[in-house]
Amino acid sequence: MKVVISGIGIISAAGFNLEQNLDAIKNGKRNAGPASVFSTILPYPVFEVKALPEKLEKEEMRTQSLAFAALKEALDDAGLQAPLSGFRTGVCLGTTVASQLNDIAFYTAFRKSGSADLKPVDLFLSGNLAESVACSVNASGPSITVVNACSSGTDAIGIALSWLKSGLCDIAITGGADEISRVPLCGFGSLGILSNSLCAPFDKNRSGLNLGEGAGILIIEREDFYIKRCGKPSLYLTGYGSFADAYHLTAPRPDGTGLESAIRKALSDAGVLPADICFVNAHGTGTTDNDKVEGSVLSRVFGNKIKFLSTKGYTGHTLGGAGGIEAAYTAAALKEGWIPASAGFACRDDEISISPVTENTAINGSFAVSTSLAFGGNNAAIVIERA
Amino acid sequence: MFISGIGIVFTRGRGIDSFENALKEGWRAPSWTGSFPAYRVGQEILIDASLSKKIRRADRFSRMAVLSAVDAYRDSGITVNQSENLGIILATAFGPHATTFSFIDDILDYSDANVSPTKFSNSVHNAAASYISAILDSRGPTVTVTQFKLAFQNALILAGSWIAEGRCDHVLCGCADELGTVMEYACKMKLNIAKDGKINPFAFSDSPVSVPGEGSVFIMLSKEKGSNNYGKVTETSFFQNITGKPDLFIIDTDGMSGNEKDYKDIINYGSLIAGYSPVFGSMLTGSALNFAAAALMLKNQVAYKCIFQDNPFGAKLCAETYAKNLDEIYCIKICRPEIKTIVKLQK
Repeated sequence: MKVVISGIGIISAAGFNLEQNLDAIKNGKRNAGPASVFSTILPYPVFEVKALPEKLEKEEMRTQSLAFAALKEALDDAGLQAPLSGFRTGVCLGTTVASQLNDIAFYTAFRKSGSADLKPVDLFLSGNLAESVACSVNASGPSITVVNACSSGTDAIGIALSWLKSGLCDIAITGGADEISRVPLCGFGSLGILSNSLCAPFDKNRSGLNLGEGAGILIIEREDFYIKRCGKPSLYLTGYGSFADAYHLTAPRPDGTGLESAIRKALSDAGVLPADICFVNAHGTGTTDNDKVEGSVLSRVFGNKIKFLSTKGYTGHTLGGAGGIEAAYTAAALKEGWIPASAGFACRDDEISISPVTENTAINGSFAVSTSLAFGGNNAAIVIERA
Repeated sequence: MFISGIGIVFTRGRGIDSFENALKEGWRAPSWTGSFPAYRVGQEILIDASLSKKIRRADRFSRMAVLSAVDAYRDSGITVNQSENLGIILATAFGPHATTFSFIDDILDYSDANVSPTKFSNSVHNAAASYISAILDSRGPTVTVTQFKLAFQNALILAGSWIAEGRCDHVLCGCADELGTVMEYACKMKLNIAKDGKINPFAFSDSPVSVPGEGSVFIMLSKEKGSNNYGKVTETSFFQNITGKPDLFIIDTDGMSGNEKDYKDIINYGSLIAGYSPVFGSMLTGSALNFAAAALMLKNQVAYKCIFQDNPFGAKLCAETYAKNLDEIYCIKICRPEIKTIVKLQK
């Protein structure tokens, strides 16, 4: 039983929909700047979504607003309309920020007086990402929010794939969403992995990541169900692998065996060999450790001629949204037959034996891989196929 | 999938034996450290000399999760030779929120540029699963999931998928939630807290009382039946009517849903009914503790008494602890009439 990708929706600093995103990355636009959503003394540039679609904006629920914007586009693309109550629909979405009650104004009032307006608590309690999306479309299948840090979106897609394969549902809404927030900005800053300039994944002189925000949503369906509904599929989600480093809370395992296992599992799940992969959309954050480990694993698994890139130079690191956004880019690139230049890369690192593509590049082939690495030592990979 | 091990950290101790003793003993008054009664986990429960080095930087949330996960693994008696064959799923409603607020304290007190990286990395929801994976050298799929209504049930479904797909042979599947200061405030303002510290699980009230709790449970789920076996999970379903007649229903009535009227219909099935929230408190992830009670009952073939003050609808309750042939138990959680989950366990 194969699983079809029937709808793609994306919102990021690069654009409000897939078309705008692809146009921006084709033209090398990097819409980063100082944080404006909140006040901070930190100087690091971020990739913000400048204006949310008004109709979809949920008051003080930025992650949900981003998710609903991408969801609308994905449902439209799939030819579906909410409510989906006539179908067995599951919802599996990744996030990080939206899973935490971290409202600074609320907490400031609480610690000052021992009491505070509970509106942020109410918003939080009504804002579990998967629950709120499931509720909005009347989904009647499983719904779960994955909070696996930076691999949340990719793991969410993999879990949704498992649901469809095991017959738990016919359709799944999956991917990830995250907003830019002061708390993770301070946190990543404290870890010394934010860059003062635009990030440069895999570059010799890379100096860290830039945070971003956005959402990437895929609608995936069981092939038999999709064919009855729509006809011939054009994209498939064919494989998923996820393995842990069992090593460190914040640093990747230096030998990269967790990531390698995740990629190899995704390939075997898809029934393909490394040679069948025409490009890899790498996690590529722009931090010293991540890119070194990931570059080494990609060359080990795919050889030195593999075409690969990181799209974080266009979107920033969108944390729980990254896996969804990057899966959306990967699917769109396969469909369109090109990948963009890996933004920020200029100079090869002697410690990484392969280099990402430096210009918009045509691709020939049917399979691509998207990877995610995360805090906590999670590694995840998916395989997408062009029909 | 088979239930091969259970680990638990709750208000009355650590380990499945503590839980069994609590079920036998019955109700004990909660603590009154704040302005309301709550089933808190004492700091002394979270000390473990054998793990102290590995969890020295871990916060309270992670410690609860680690200790229960390690205990479930040990309880199973299984040694997973291929570390990639063991998966981990941690479900939580609120995650390590106390650490998040402690991190925000740093922002407020010392500025955005002078905060603790250790606090930040521990405030991330999946920190606990990361500790568990490192301690057990478990390299299989490891995910943390969050949900307010049906976190444990969704985690069970995922564990079943992983085992069915062959992603791993064993899954440590658990829940953890803590009761930090801010959460206590939210509970005080939003819940109908029982002033006498007594949850009333069988009143089936439309304004039920609760007594907030905290803790963690991990269940070792295995593809094959192991030397230690509590029974098996045969089905986890959503949105379906109850079919069949189990020996016992265990219901998640703890006051957290705000309305428990719909549980009343379970009386009509004629089976024995139990619910153990008065032992561990009200938690959004409390289903996992009731599940642990069900597994223990199947293994020991004992029905544990449940604690209640009144039984206005004449439910056939498990009023005493006694030896009983138990082949099948259904664990039921109803959020709204249309959101009902059934987890079926068999001997």
